[in-house]
Order: sequence, then C-alpha cells, then structure tokens
Amino acid sequence: MQVLLLILQITELTKSQTFMSKNEPKILMLGWEFPPVINGGLGVACHDLCIALSKHAKVTMVIPKTYPDFTIENLNLIGLNTIDAKTLRNISYRNDYKNLEEVHYVPSRLNPYYSDHHAVEHLPEIKSKYLTPVEMGDETAEVFTIDDLYGGDVIEKVTVFGKLTAKLALTLDFDIIHAHDWMTMAAGMEIKARTGKPLVMHIHSLEVDRGGEASKGWVYQMEKKGMEYADVLMPVSNFTANVIHQHYGIGKHKIFPVHNGIRPVKAYKGKKRFKEKVVLFVGRLTRQKGPEFFLEIASRVLEVRQDVRFVMAGTGDAFHRLLEKSSYKHIGNRFHLTGFLNLEKVHEMLSIADVYCMPSVSEPFGLSAVEAAQFGVPVVLSKQSGAAEVMKGSLTFDFWDINRASEYIIRLLDDDVLRDKVIADANKDLESISWDLSADKVLDGYRKYKLYME
Amino acid sequence: MPSICFYFQVHQPFRIKNYSFFDIGKDHFYEDDEKNRVVLNKVSEKCYLKTNQKMLSLIRKHKGKFRISYSLSGTVIEQLEIYRPDVLQSFVDLAETGCVEFLAETYYHSLSYIYSKEEFTRQVKMHAEKIQKYFKQKPKVFRNTELIFNNDLASFIEKMGYKGILCEGVDRILNSRSPNHVYQPKGTSKIKALLKNYRLSDDIAFRFSDVNWTEFPLTADKYASWVHKIAGNGEILNLFMDYETFGEHQWESTGIFDFLEHLPAEIMKHKDFNFLTPSEVIEKYPVRDTYDVKDFTSWADAERDLSAWLSNSMEQEAIQRIYSLEEKVLATGDADMIATWGKFQTSDHFYYMCTKFWSDGDVHKYFSPYDSPYDAYIYYMNAFSDFEASINDFKPKKAPAKKNSKKLVAAIEPVAPVKRKK
Repeated sequence: MQVLLLILQITELTKSQTFMSKNEPKILMLGWEFPPVINGGLGVACHDLCIALSKHAKVTMVIPKTYPDFTIENLNLIGLNTIDAKTLRNISYRNDYKNLEEVHYVPSRLNPYYSDHHAVEHLPEIKSKYLTPVEMGDETAEVFTIDDLYGGDVIEKVTVFGKLTAKLALTLDFDIIHAHDWMTMAAGMEIKARTGKPLVMHIHSLEVDRGGEASKGWVYQMEKKGMEYADVLMPVSNFTANVIHQHYGIGKHKIFPVHNGIRPVKAYKGKKRFKEKVVLFVGRLTRQKGPEFFLEIASRVLEVRQDVRFVMAGTGDAFHRLLEKSSYKHIGNRFHLTGFLNLEKVHEMLSIADVYCMPSVSEPFGLSAVEAAQFGVPVVLSKQSGAAEVMKGSLTFDFWDINRASEYIIRLLDDDVLRDKVIADANKDLESISWDLSADKVLDGYRKYKLYME
Repeated sequence: MPSICFYFQVHQPFRIKNYSFFDIGKDHFYEDDEKNRVVLNKVSEKCYLKTNQKMLSLIRKHKGKFRISYSLSGTVIEQLEIYRPDVLQSFVDLAETGCVEFLAETYYHSLSYIYSKEEFTRQVKMHAEKIQKYFKQKPKVFRNTELIFNNDLASFIEKMGYKGILCEGVDRILNSRSPNHVYQPKGTSKIKALLKNYRLSDDIAFRFSDVNWTEFPLTADKYASWVHKIAGNGEILNLFMDYETFGEHQWESTGIFDFLEHLPAEIMKHKDFNFLTPSEVIEKYPVRDTYDVKDFTSWADAERDLSAWLSNSMEQEAIQRIYSLEEKVLATGDADMIATWGKFQTSDHFYYMCTKFWSDGDVHKYFSPYDSPYDAYIYYMNAFSDFEASINDFKPKKAPAKKNSKKLVAAIEPVAPVKRKK
C-alpha cells in the first residue's frame, strides 16, 4: 500500500474556498483522451469540465497516460502508466460490495476477457501486450503502456484499463464514479460492481453518430450495456439524449443532459489576402460531419456567385472523394481542402472566415460551431446537432436541406443587417455557454439523483 | 537501303511547390526552385552530359554517318540557361557537327493544341525561335508533346509550313501494317508522318535492364540483328525515346552506355543500313500509305491516348481552368504573367494528377514530385487560385497609357463559370 501511494503522485488538495458549509462530492473520473495528447474534442471537454468541477468537488481523474511535466492544480491526476500492475494484483477483492455474477456484462462472445470471469477471479495475473515491464528504481514494474489511444487492439486496451482502474479504485476514496464514453465504460461498470458506488456516464459521442444507425458492433454493445448499467447518463445535448433513448432503448428518467461549455479564446480578426469571401468547415472529413453536404452547398452557392471560397479544414476518409467531386463539379478554384490544421491555423482560418457552416449528420455537440461564434463568425448549422440547442440565434437547417443552407449563406454574405443580428445573438448565446455552468449542471444532476450525501 | 531514325526527347518541367491555401494572396512564386535545380543537376550529371559526350564521339568516330535528332522543350532550355549552361553548350556542340537535327514542339511541352489553337501556334513559334537562337537551324519537322497526334493536328502543322510530323505507330490504327514506312496523315497533301516503332524503341527505353525479360541482357549485336530483320520489308526504323533513358531511367550500371557505344557500328555492319535525321528521311523516302488517326493518340501509357493527362476530373478541372484564363493573361501584355501562365500549361502537372493505378500508375509515381495525385491537384489549384487573382487584379507596372486602360477594364471583370467540355 505504501509503495502504491508513493507512485500515485497524490497531490494534497488545497481548496481556494476555505469555508465549505456543504459536503463536497468526491468524484472518481475515468477518462481516455486527455491533454497534452488530444485526438478530438473529448480530451478538451474532459479536461475543462474537470477543472470547473474541481472548484466544487474533490476530483480524482484516472487516465491511460500522464506526463511528469503535465499537472493540474486541484486535480488528482493519475496515469495508469505510472502504476505497477503487480502491486495492484495484491489488492484483495474480499470486501466487494457485489459479486461479479450480479453484473450484466457485455455479451461474452464479444469479449474474450469477460468470457470467463470466474477464471479471472481466481487468476491474479493480468496478462496483456499492453502491460510493459518498466524500470522503476531498483525494481521492474509492469505498467499500462499504449502509444496510440485508438489504434491496435482497442478492445484489449479498454479491458485492461478497466481491470487495472477497478483495482486502483479500491484504494481510493470517492462517492461517485463519472465515466466518459465507451472507452471507460468497462472500467466504470467494474468499479460500480466492486464498490456499489453510483455510476454516471457522460456521453460525448456514440457509435450511431459516428457510424450511422446500422452500427451495432462491439462498441455499440459496450455502450448499450454500459448505459443500461449506469445510474445516470449525462449526454452533451438533448439531441444525444434522444439518440440514447431511440437507438439504445434507455429510459428518459435517468438521462440528464449537460451541454458542453467552451474555453475562452483570444479571438481576433485576421487579414485576408484575397478578395473572395470565405465559408469555412472545420472537422473530420467523415460521414458524421456531413462533408459532402458542404460540397453540395458550395456548388449551389457558386452557381449564383463566384466571389466565395469554400474551405474545409481537416482530414478523413472522404478527403479524396471530396477532391474528385469538387473538380467534377468544376469548382476546383473555389473549393479548398487544407488537410489537418493545428489549433493556431484553425484560429487563423476562423479569423478570416465570413460564414461558418456545420452540416453535421449527427453531432452530439459541435464545439467548432461555438468556437466560430467566439470569433464573431456567423454560424449556419445543422439542426441535427447539440450546438443548435445552445446557439439559439444561429441559422439552422436540416443537414440534407442544401437549398436552405445555401440561401442562408448567400443572405449572410449580402445582408449586413442579418449578419449583424446573427452575430449579436450568438454573442448573447455565448454568455450562457461556459464550463463553470456545465459543472454546476453536473452537480445539479448529482443532487437530483441523490448520488452523494450533501 | 533501310534507315535508322533516332529521335530523343529532352524535357524538364518547372515543378510547382507544395503551395498551401495559406499562401494564396501572399506568395506569387509557384515554382519549386530547389527541386527543379536538384533534379536538373542530377539528370545533367547522370544523363545529359555523359550521353551528349558519347553522341559527339560517335558522330566523330563514324565520320558523319551516325546521325540523330532531338527535341528540347522550351522549359528545359530555360532551366539549362539558369542552372547548367555547360549542358546547353554540349547540345550546341552537337548541333555544330551538322549531323544533329532539332525538331519543333510546343515551348511549354503543353497540351495547348487540344485547348487553344492560338496558344498552340504562339508556343510553336516561340519554341522555333529558341531553337534557332541556340542551334542555328529552323525546325522543319514537328513533334507534339508526348507524340500526341491526330489527322487535324497534321493538317494544322502542315499549314504552319512543316514538312514532317512524328507520331506513335499505334497497332489499332496500323491494323497489321508496318510502322517502318513513311505515311501520309489523312487529309493532308504534303506533310509526311514518321511512326515510332514502339517495340524496338521500348526494348531500349523500358526493357533494357529488366532482368525478367526473356531477352535480358540486351547486347548491341543482338539488337542490331533484330534491326537487320526489317531489311526487305521496311525502309525506315523510327526509334523514338526519352533522352533520359540513357543514364537516368536506365542507370549507367545497367551497361546502357556500352550498348550505345557499340550500337551504330553493329547496325552499320550490314552495309545496307544507315542513319538519317527526320528531315532526311522525309526527303529520301516516298509515302507508302495513309495513316488515319481520328481520335488523339500519344506515346504515353499502355493506352497510347490522352488518358495519362486527362482521364480524371481533377486533371480536367485544372487544365480547363488554366486555359480559361488565356484572354485575360494575354491582355495584360505582361511578359512575366504570360510566362507564368505558360509554365502552368506544362503537361507534367496533369500527369502527376493521374489516378490510373494499374502498371502505368507506377510510372506516374516515379516521375511525380508529390506524395499523391491529390496533393498534386491541391497544390496546383492553390497556386492557380493565386495566379487567377493576380491576373484579375493586374495593373500595368508603369502608369497606364491610354492604350492599356481598356485591357485593364477587361481584366477586372469577374470570371465567368467555365462550361465543362464533353
């Protein structure tokens, strides 16, 4: 136990608010992506929500990997890469709240790890290619090592993460388990099974958003079982709440939407080096984001006027198809694919954009649209997005309604009155979008469902 | 007395750099200077200098009996002027032997004939002037970019005063006739067509170092024995190939230079065989039949058509865009602008955008400076977007004279959408 504590890098939690009349909830957060390594919006959202929550709660965040020079004030950040699996192995399960048999796990055919949990129970070894021997002082430790969060055998990665985190959790003091998306669901379920603590699942993105309604594979099954087993679900929008209800058959009684916040940014207006207006898309070029609708919209607008450049920043499986289609539609000199852009370049694009267009087919939130609004860019976005719920003043269209989107874009380019109105409304909307407000909402949820003793 | 007619293509494009969207409006220079210099130096060392030296010594050794022809694109001459005047001089030395003919082509090694006859004419004239300047000869025989050819082109070139034209001997058009005769393009009256014998040409250009080829290794005497077989059923043998075959496509280590060294003597061991340049062939041999090419043919890829440059929508879009600027570019009267536009027309740019991924895809990839055809298209279109804006915003450098003001107004008018060609 002492050895473990040494490795854990426990930070003494010092609160800025010294007078605390109420009992602060102790939250065990389970994350996957986390700064400084970021693949998409999930890492940023987890990070920012954690920081906001840590003002009102004791937060311990467990993630696959931490970096020695990346620490966060008031947040107990634990990377599994710093913990010896051999030490965890000695932690006893004797005081378990429940037996594993009582837990409804993912169908066994989908998961070799859970296929024989009796055997697992009596076999203290956790063998995995993702456990690597590492020199720690004089001893060799086995630590969880993954270089790429989403590549390789993801099923094994999330499974081993779950197993190790569950053991680790038995050494920690917390009231609520708060897991983020399917990668941490196995961990969340196992911890709930072992401790009986309430499980909250924060839903940022679902398999049916990413892959379409027909996606019913392993990830879908994991999400479904996980959400069924959880006590409270916190999707990032009402849109996603509906998806959970419709496509996963989960009762609305335990769904409590919490809209994302947004990180304040130093917005600026850049100097454009060409005359044409810029209509911008930022995101992965993949079905979910509706990139081909953006192309259709571009084509429609360019029929009417030539003084607009349509720019898609990002990369993805649709990249080549978009290039070929845009050239076929003969708009190659006005339709630009930039490839992947870093944050600085994305901001540069936002600083010169005249309209931001987000034609997502199924978008749980859509942080990029809010970011565009922060840069004072009027936003035209699909109704099939969470952002449309918080950007109340924006111009919205059904993702397939190319005519309407084109009309909005042309109007915004021509009509300064409309443009100013949309920007002003967006500024008002931005006032009620912040991670502090999101954190308050999360705490409301904890209280509503009585997840801890106030 | 059968004649061997050697023709070598010498060409390098001005490659476009990795021009990003963020460069539009900021950077008006599109060429990859560094890459162009490096490639030219590499090819100069491996091929041009060595092969020119070899050709010169062969011409001297055979006392004028070994005769060859070249076509140098305007873009390669420009690059030699900048980076390798020594190589340019070695071509001049060859010209001075009197045994070397220089052919006409489009200055920018372009597909201009397909898109604009005016631009095509301008480039052919420009090129002829350049050839005259360095090699002191007026081209009499024309070869179009990558031997792109059809009946109409032959007629057009005939009207421009050329006596001969080079083209690919395509099986489907020869229809079992031999390429080893002089033909008359259909619809012409005087101009003669010289048809490439692709089997014997490609034996050298493509198969020479192929260890899987049943005839490997190819020796000069073996090759000469194949050449000698045409005696009695052919008058000419047109061996047309990229000059870079020597030392660049076929490295020196393959023995290509030894092969070349011995080839003329081996061929002339048969007393009936000699070497002639294209003009001399046309002078000497009569027309034997009509060569009827309705659709374009070329020497590129397995298809021998235009698909190496114009088979996908990206190539089509890029090339149609560049030619849509013709009127405005010329209206600027600005030499730099017009030259930049010319360089955008070089066929290699479209060749790099080709997505045909069967055996020829490898060849395209070998020559491409980019990671993928899609990158080639993106960089080209970004650079084009900047150039288009420059043309639309063009203001003459000096105070506009009255004469120019009209052109300026024309130049500012917005671009009309270009209709897709069928």
